[in-house]
Amino acid sequence: MSTQAETKQSGGLPPFLKSSLQQIFVFLALVLIYIVFMVVAPNFASLGVAMDIVQQSAYIGVMALGATFIIATGGIDLSVGTGLSFVAVMAGVFLAGDWWNLPLGAGLLLTLLVGALVGLVNGLNISFLGLPPFIATLAMMMAARGLALVVSDKQTISIKNPQYIWLFNGEIIPGIKNAIVWFILLAIIASVMLNKTLLGRYAIAIGSNEEATRLSGVNVKFWKTLIYVTAGVFMALGAILYSARFGFVQPAEGVGFELYVIAAVVIGGTSLAGGRANIIGTVVGALIMETLRKGLQMMGVAQEWQLVATGVVLLLAVFIDNVRRARAAAV
Amino acid sequence: MRMLRSTLALGAVLALGLTACGTSTPAETAAPAPADTTTAAAPAEETTPAEETTPAEEAPSGELPKGNGETIYLVSKGFQHRFWQAVKEGAEKAGAEYNYKVEFVGPQDETQVTEQLNQLKTALDSKPVAIGLAALDSGAASELLNQIQAANIPLIAFDSGVDSDIPLTTVSTDNTAAAEAAAQHMVELIGGSGQVGLICHDQTSTTGKQRCNGFQDWIKANAPDVTVLEPQVAGAVDLAANTAKSMIQANPEIKGIYGTNEAAATGAIQGAKESGADLVVVGFDSGKTQIEAIKDGSQAGAVTQAPVKMGYETVIAAIKAINGQELPKVIDSGFEWYDKSNIDDPAIAANLYE
Amino acid sequence: MTKLLELKNVSKTFPGVKALQNVQLDLNAGEVLGLCGENGAGKSTLMKILTGIYTPDPGAEIWLQGQKVDVRDVNHARDLGLSIIHQELNMVPDLTVAQNLYLGRPGSSKRGFVDDKALNRRAAELFERLNMRINPADRVGDLSVARQQMVEIARALDFDSKILVMDEPTAALTIAETDALMDMIRDFVTPETGLIYISHRMPEIEEITDRVTVLRDGQYIDTVVTDDVEMREIISLMVGREVSGDARPRTTVDSDEVLLKVEGLNTKKLLRNVNFEVRKGEVLGFAGLVGAGRTEVARAVFGADPKESGEIYVHGKRVNVRNAGDAVRAGIGYLSEDRKTYGLLLEQDVKYNAVLAAMNDFSIGGFVLDGKIRTVGQEYSDKLRVRTPSVNQLLGKLSGGNQQKVVIAKWLVRNSDILIFDEPTRGIDVGAKEEIYTLIEELCAAGKAIIVISSELPEVLRVSHRIAVMAHGHITGVLDNAEATQENIMELATLGKAQLEGNAA
Repeated sequence: MSTQAETKQSGGLPPFLKSSLQQIFVFLALVLIYIVFMVVAPNFASLGVAMDIVQQSAYIGVMALGATFIIATGGIDLSVGTGLSFVAVMAGVFLAGDWWNLPLGAGLLLTLLVGALVGLVNGLNISFLGLPPFIATLAMMMAARGLALVVSDKQTISIKNPQYIWLFNGEIIPGIKNAIVWFILLAIIASVMLNKTLLGRYAIAIGSNEEATRLSGVNVKFWKTLIYVTAGVFMALGAILYSARFGFVQPAEGVGFELYVIAAVVIGGTSLAGGRANIIGTVVGALIMETLRKGLQMMGVAQEWQLVATGVVLLLAVFIDNVRRARAAAV
Repeated sequence: MRMLRSTLALGAVLALGLTACGTSTPAETAAPAPADTTTAAAPAEETTPAEETTPAEEAPSGELPKGNGETIYLVSKGFQHRFWQAVKEGAEKAGAEYNYKVEFVGPQDETQVTEQLNQLKTALDSKPVAIGLAALDSGAASELLNQIQAANIPLIAFDSGVDSDIPLTTVSTDNTAAAEAAAQHMVELIGGSGQVGLICHDQTSTTGKQRCNGFQDWIKANAPDVTVLEPQVAGAVDLAANTAKSMIQANPEIKGIYGTNEAAATGAIQGAKESGADLVVVGFDSGKTQIEAIKDGSQAGAVTQAPVKMGYETVIAAIKAINGQELPKVIDSGFEWYDKSNIDDPAIAANLYE
Repeated sequence: MTKLLELKNVSKTFPGVKALQNVQLDLNAGEVLGLCGENGAGKSTLMKILTGIYTPDPGAEIWLQGQKVDVRDVNHARDLGLSIIHQELNMVPDLTVAQNLYLGRPGSSKRGFVDDKALNRRAAELFERLNMRINPADRVGDLSVARQQMVEIARALDFDSKILVMDEPTAALTIAETDALMDMIRDFVTPETGLIYISHRMPEIEEITDRVTVLRDGQYIDTVVTDDVEMREIISLMVGREVSGDARPRTTVDSDEVLLKVEGLNTKKLLRNVNFEVRKGEVLGFAGLVGAGRTEVARAVFGADPKESGEIYVHGKRVNVRNAGDAVRAGIGYLSEDRKTYGLLLEQDVKYNAVLAAMNDFSIGGFVLDGKIRTVGQEYSDKLRVRTPSVNQLLGKLSGGNQQKVVIAKWLVRNSDILIFDEPTRGIDVGAKEEIYTLIEELCAAGKAIIVISSELPEVLRVSHRIAVMAHGHITGVLDNAEATQENIMELATLGKAQLEGNAA
């Protein structure tokens, strides 16, 4: 087999289009699902419903942005669900009137710091203690749930800070919730980080081949830790959007969110094996899940079936992606 | 590793389902009431359930002789939570009235089965005149229950009851009757006709089913002009909020939503708020968010269990047992309807917790 | 007299490779037959065919005691009395000795339940018969390699094997353990049995075998009676390939400047007091058998594996290399023998792979400079003549030779002065090999210091100005290219452990 023969076969689609195929596919799936619901679900075809879908997928979506980096390295983060409730409780502690009642800026900064700290502990455990990400974040998942209950003393914390509520749940642009604006803004930031910064490049490199990256002189431990810290900050942003929407925080919320987060990332075409990641895909993945839920809810379909439908979409997305890649590899 | 990943992906799919039944708010305390509630009054016959009394309370307590400071031991499912504190309060009130010492214990939270068993053992060892038990796991306790019976100590079950023949009676909330009361109030508040939605916090537990079905069945039987939409299950606030919003958007004519616990009701309020709809929201239990919503008018009202009364009745039943009096199989500890008008009423407020 | 075993006309084709061509071999009863050949000569393939692991190409014949047999699979081979003890031991470390002995064998369980007591009893009886002192209940992972090997041998004997094959059995053994193994082999061989002994180690071949069969490049070369020949004669049979006269380096080393100097390098597992230096514009070849420690030297120098002691000097200055990052900063680049595992990101494109080691030069404030990556990637892709439609091509789509060029590009972009090539042409087509050699020469001319580790002697001779030969973790000699021949390299590479330890003492 000559080298010429091998290089020739790579013709056909330009590489840019090739790498975007999965994104295009996921996006088309979203459009298709949306159109189906416009036809079958009563009153689904309205701007309000569309806005709801984006707003309601915002906190899962924002957490999934961070999780995309982790999954790109071939890792996994199970702690985002209970981590959200822990960070939200801390936001309540910093900002609630009957707790510390800090000024908004200080409160927000501390809240993001707590998220970063959760990520830092995950990152250190994984990079320096060599724990598998599954185990390290499983431990954090349990610890965060416990901490949320301890700190809040199992009480609901009301966050009545009007600036906080306005900033994350008000409307700067009339008719569009700020949560939506934040989601878009953070998605753009995440996209730039993944595609244009060392952090993103190294995340992909580590996921492609951690050993080769290490032997290229890259400080893999440092970058991996930083990636988990980044994901922790995104988790904190998700927690902020979540708590601002309801104006109160309950410490037992958030259980199971991690699986929606992972599902959003995976539906979006990021490989659980690492080395391939896609921010737009993650956003669309989160939207697909929420669209399904919304549409089925509006059709009055029982929740059991909503879950089944989401599961089927997840399987289909991963399956189709696998088939597509197997074909590409077989050429 | 590949194996692990696919397992994980599968786990993600499965667990999308788990959240439906896995989420509970700290406020959730209710437990299954017995199917056969011999003593419950039918709320439909009365104008307001708030005035409702149960036969147990009507029993003239004066006939009961006072004790000499003997100990009655109550082993509850929890201790810190306000609900159990209210039970304790009621129990101690009864103890004080009849000169019994009430020892009230419970595990840290409602998952600690073994801790509860240890406490039950301690109760048995201290040889009290009667024991009350809200069992976390009846099966696990069966050995100890036999010992209690062998020691001739009368056993009274409360809250969820104990799945055994040994307890002389069970003091618990009749969730079906309470849900019927919620339905009745809902029908009145929406003016007797229109669509109402139903958000159930849980579809698998007896409590959840009773709170859901009691509401639906009452409306079907008593309010022909009211349609109940397909019930939706949402045990967490965010899910309940999204569900409520979808309900409202799909059914613009909807007049009210009933949520079967704090999270479901709070979610319904949030959903109504976000979609700008003017709805009657009726809830169940109490908790900070519901109390605030009722006070500010965004929630019409809710039914609450009566933990104070539950504690009181449990001790009264114990004293009756000590004195050899006959006890009914089930004693309804009752429930209360509360809204803006009576929320600060001390009799109601005693049953509410944040 | 019928032979115990005869193999005739055995060929084996793997996709793209003819591993064996019409090979023959015969074994007498009561005999130990040595099987010799360079790495890749086909020894292991032949033995895997004999023991049913591989199926030969049609036309092959296997005769056992005058009967033609058709070995269907491993279990069938066992039934026929053919057993093999592989180079890598084939046991589950977390199970006990007895559990391993009977793993997968009929009668080791009853209706799915395993009776450990019964297994231990059977194993104890077996060990007693064989005069081995091994506790059947011990975890295999807790045993020394030698004792694990004894368990493997016991397992083979328990099958009533008539013919036992040992593939490099002493690779991981100490001298005393090797002696014990030799005794065991002598005990095993009776007038009814025979043993085939594969080894690179000439002293062992000389000691234990009666005859030696030599393979080279998948072909049968000759069979000689051990006592009739010198070991060097066997070596020349092994390497006898005609080496063309021009296959020597075309550059000369003009500089005396030492770029890399390694002193007293030791690792816990293998390396013992390794010293060498490489000058500017020089290629130092590392030759030796598999397991001699060549790759370990490279990895220890590069900081990929921990070293026990030893100093590394770059440009005359001592550098503390604790990890790969330190080595890269010192200007050392390592091109692993296993490019796919240690060198490349197959799912990423050419340009990104080319700059991976130098990302700091391609980013400002954490932001990646894609334009510069594209320009530089293109520049090096052109310079190294990488055949790819564009620098955006995913690396997994390139051929082995072109992937290797991208790895070279990675270290050139990083501006590394010292390049360590570990098996630079492994998995690369014959045609592309010469291209890599030419590149190495060009790098020399550009003043790099280069180490080339290779198992192919012609390759070592082709590119190296000097050749360091290793055996058992020692450097056994350094030859100038002019004096080096395949024969004298092999001689140094096959020195026995006893001789080396003696020298060191």
